[in-house]
Amino acid sequence: MTAEQDPAEPTAAASGTAGAPETGETTGTTLEASENAAEPTTPETASGAFEIFEATEDTAKTAEAPEDKPGFLADLRAHLRRSPAGIAGITICSLFAAAAVVGPWLPFLPDPTQQSLPDKLTPPVGWGGTWAHPLGTDQLGRDIAARLVDGARISLLVSVAAVLIAAVLGTALGLVAGYIGGKVDTLIISAADVQMAFPGVLAGLILVAAFGPSVWLVIVVIAISSWMVFTRVGRSLVFTLKTSLFVEAAELTGAPARRVMWRHLLPNLFSSLITLGVLELAAAILAESAFAFLGFGVQPPRSSWGLMIQQGRNYITNGWWIVTFAGLAISLVVLGVNLLSQWLQSFNDVAEREQIILERPGS
Amino acid sequence: MLRWLARRIIAAALVVFVVTSLVFVVTHVFTDPATVSLPLEASEEQRDQRRAALGLDRSIGVQYWDFVSGLVVGDFGESFWQSQPASKLVLERLPATLRLVAGATVVTVLMAAPLGMLAAWLERRFADHAIMGLSMAAISAPPFWIGYLLIIVFAVQLGWVPTFGSSGWRSLILPSFAVGLASAGRLTQMTRRGIVEELRKPYAVTAMSRGFSRSYTIVHHTFRNIATSFVTMTGWELTRMFTGYTVVIEVVFSWPGVGRLAVQAIDNRDLILVQAAVVVLATLVVVTNLLVDVARRLIDPRVELL
Repeated sequence: MTAEQDPAEPTAAASGTAGAPETGETTGTTLEASENAAEPTTPETASGAFEIFEATEDTAKTAEAPEDKPGFLADLRAHLRRSPAGIAGITICSLFAAAAVVGPWLPFLPDPTQQSLPDKLTPPVGWGGTWAHPLGTDQLGRDIAARLVDGARISLLVSVAAVLIAAVLGTALGLVAGYIGGKVDTLIISAADVQMAFPGVLAGLILVAAFGPSVWLVIVVIAISSWMVFTRVGRSLVFTLKTSLFVEAAELTGAPARRVMWRHLLPNLFSSLITLGVLELAAAILAESAFAFLGFGVQPPRSSWGLMIQQGRNYITNGWWIVTFAGLAISLVVLGVNLLSQWLQSFNDVAEREQIILERPGS
Repeated sequence: MLRWLARRIIAAALVVFVVTSLVFVVTHVFTDPATVSLPLEASEEQRDQRRAALGLDRSIGVQYWDFVSGLVVGDFGESFWQSQPASKLVLERLPATLRLVAGATVVTVLMAAPLGMLAAWLERRFADHAIMGLSMAAISAPPFWIGYLLIIVFAVQLGWVPTFGSSGWRSLILPSFAVGLASAGRLTQMTRRGIVEELRKPYAVTAMSRGFSRSYTIVHHTFRNIATSFVTMTGWELTRMFTGYTVVIEVVFSWPGVGRLAVQAIDNRDLILVQAAVVVLATLVVVTNLLVDVARRLIDPRVELL
């Protein structure tokens, strides 16, 4: 990240809430500068203002890893230590990600597609079930736990892919709209406005009606219902950065627009856009589950959490666990992502607050 | 104000026009209602026949003109599945959707405003953490799952309310909560955050230093100051309800609304009907946004709107 190496570049530390233009006061002073000002005696230590509170731990840490560049990541680590919600969020997210990646190779899980009609609708442990099927079985005698792990793959893959597409596309458009301005800007921002009025589910309904259900379509639908969030936030950040000295300096040296956007503006958008991306990921997972539930996404025998709820809904009286556990899985992973995003936001806010305090004359 | 309103209405109409045109491109350029209505194994001859019967063999420009001039007078074409005008089918279902959204909005506002204020009042105490935790849970849970949980607990186990369908106001309770809980969670968090921020401002500090209690200051001063953003956020939640939550919740509760109609139409390969439902829902979104802007302007005349 160039932002960390070049103290002349301001770090965009606006909190990434959707849509609204972010604070314009964040330019001018860098995160690095604020750290150095807060701790002028130890410029070589890795983390920022948090060291005031946790000096021993952090200096020990940096002594072990001297090549750690001072800046963002170290700050993030220090901030994490003070936030139980952030730790919970990261833990939940990593657990689900791990389950999605290594799921099929876990030795103790049965085959998620193996049917066994004599075992159908076995209740979970604690409600008369056995440890052979800890979370019970579904209407075809398939193991719920195994199906949950299997469903994690589709659910998470689809939503992560959709958010990545939306982020790349949306950020690119936001950069161009904000930096080039003029007619291009008007065109892009009008498109974003129209997209706001035509949210994903409606687009999803019409596209599924026209082309039939498929996973690819769900990825496209979620991506097109999310790109404008990145465009709007990216654009408003570029507006505040555009007039700053480092951009003007780059322009004066004759750097072409593409280079200014790519090398100078984009790195300064990262921290805000990553926060935004995590927030959008939570929405994407919920959207994926809704589409799967409506039968628009992945088709049987492949499984996803939303589809499990759709298939289990006829058994809520004699097999409540199918719907309950599948929904619990969705809720948990979304909760984890939400906690992560909230923590990242609070991190950005803290960085922002430090900057504002230091910018104020006399303090 | 009037000039602003006129400009705003024209802009909204433009958005509706662009959205309907996009819908037309998807339903008539990339595919067509005849192809969708026939099974995949239908022969090219059958398709051509159906296209000719529906006037889909004419040039795309003529079809577009037909489509737009039909929309202006509320004619969305004929539904294959029901053999009735699509507009009639959608309008029949519209009151149910509006009822559901109204019920959900009541749930949302009545939960979010008091709970948000309470959490801000008891900032960093146990009740605050409990309310924030619960609202986080409500935001994270998929609404259709909340719907099934409510059915399992209140309809199946306790038998307090009917499980499905729409008969009388009692059947409205569970769907309203299922639609409204996530919105209530988001709005509660917004309210708390807004009030806590306002309480740090000089005017609130002054009020409290003059002896007004924290609770009085919250209710009479700070909440009024976040009213604009409260209304804006409620409006956003309404659009979310129209386009996302009601669709799935209507399916969960067999609620006879527009969203369920659209899903049924998809299952019956009825592109004309889906198109009508989607255009109507998108129009509702645009109208809601317009009303929110007007309400914001009325609450706070300082709000500068384009």
